[in-house]
Amino acid sequence: MSSKKDKAQKSLTKEEELLLQDFSRNVSTKSSALFYGNALIVSAIPIWLFWRIHQMDLYQSGILFAVGTLVSTYLVAFAYKNVKFVLKHKIAQKREDAVTREMTKKFSDDKKMTRKERDERILWKKNEVADYEATTFSIFYNNAFYLVLLILCSFYVLKNFSPMFNYLMSVGLAAGLLALFSTSNK
Amino acid sequence: KEKLLVLAVLISFAGYSLSEEENVARLLASKNVLNQYLVEGRDLTVQYTIFNIGGSAALDVNLKEESFPEQDFEVVKGNLNVKWERIAPGTNVSHVVVLRPLQFGYFNFTAAEVSYKPSENAASAVVGFTSAPGEGGIVGSKDFDRKFSPHVLDWLVFAIMTLPSLTIPFLLFYRSKSRYDTPKPKKN
Repeated sequence: MSSKKDKAQKSLTKEEELLLQDFSRNVSTKSSALFYGNALIVSAIPIWLFWRIHQMDLYQSGILFAVGTLVSTYLVAFAYKNVKFVLKHKIAQKREDAVTREMTKKFSDDKKMTRKERDERILWKKNEVADYEATTFSIFYNNAFYLVLLILCSFYVLKNFSPMFNYLMSVGLAAGLLALFSTSNK
Repeated sequence: KEKLLVLAVLISFAGYSLSEEENVARLLASKNVLNQYLVEGRDLTVQYTIFNIGGSAALDVNLKEESFPEQDFEVVKGNLNVKWERIAPGTNVSHVVVLRPLQFGYFNFTAAEVSYKPSENAASAVVGFTSAPGEGGIVGSKDFDRKFSPHVLDWLVFAIMTLPSLTIPFLLFYRSKSRYDTPKPKKN
């Protein structure tokens, strides 16, 4: 009797696990690596702009660039996570029918699978698709927004300030605003 | 009584110089920097103009420019020491020198020296000075570039660099979306 209870508990836990994953803001290690990697690339690109156009010496401003890039990476990755979380649910709702149809077609000839297992697999696939789409769109959207903010700040708002101040403020503002907008719950 | 004395002296001097004016050359020289911006490493144009307002020709005119030290200014074109044999009365001559500043900072443009013989039988040359343009700021090449260069190539490279980080996520998203998107309901 205890084994049956255990089995029931186990399958519930698996569903619970999926639900938890769905609703928690924590991302898997792979996603995390992807986010930080992309954030680093996007945060490092402005260095080229400041080196060439604002004529900032690479070696002299090296520490400043490093600090700015790290702070920006953290904030941009933070923005990625938040936007992805908000998007995931919207996308999951949209894709529900299409995914269900595809998976049902795939498993229709497999008679050995129980209904519960089929539902579980559909749920898992839905989660995966929503996760993937939310991740890629979040990265795209945040990258675009960050670059636009950075160019606006650096070449219009802060045009006449010293290059070092310009760099710190542009990167700080762009990444900060990105993180701020990502925390909205729309 | 004192005032009268001073007035008398002044009138006599004026009379003297006026009478001499007709047979003597008198040169006025101006020195102008023609640039709007003075930038390190870019050409700087200096124009000298000498006017003869006297009654006779000025002979053996020498323009001597010594105020541009060699380690700070490179001569691109023109001479810093010029000679004119004769400047007719009521005419002017001009001379242009192109320099290149090798340092940035503030530079005081001082006068150049002009020496000439006011008449044929003059015993010694008269030495005068051109006008001095005054202090000018030579902008460093980096600051000038930052302000004025169009940086087209740099922006192009920037665009190419940002393209992957924008297009790759979007393409991946779009691929997945088009695969799973619910088809629009057909109109009846």
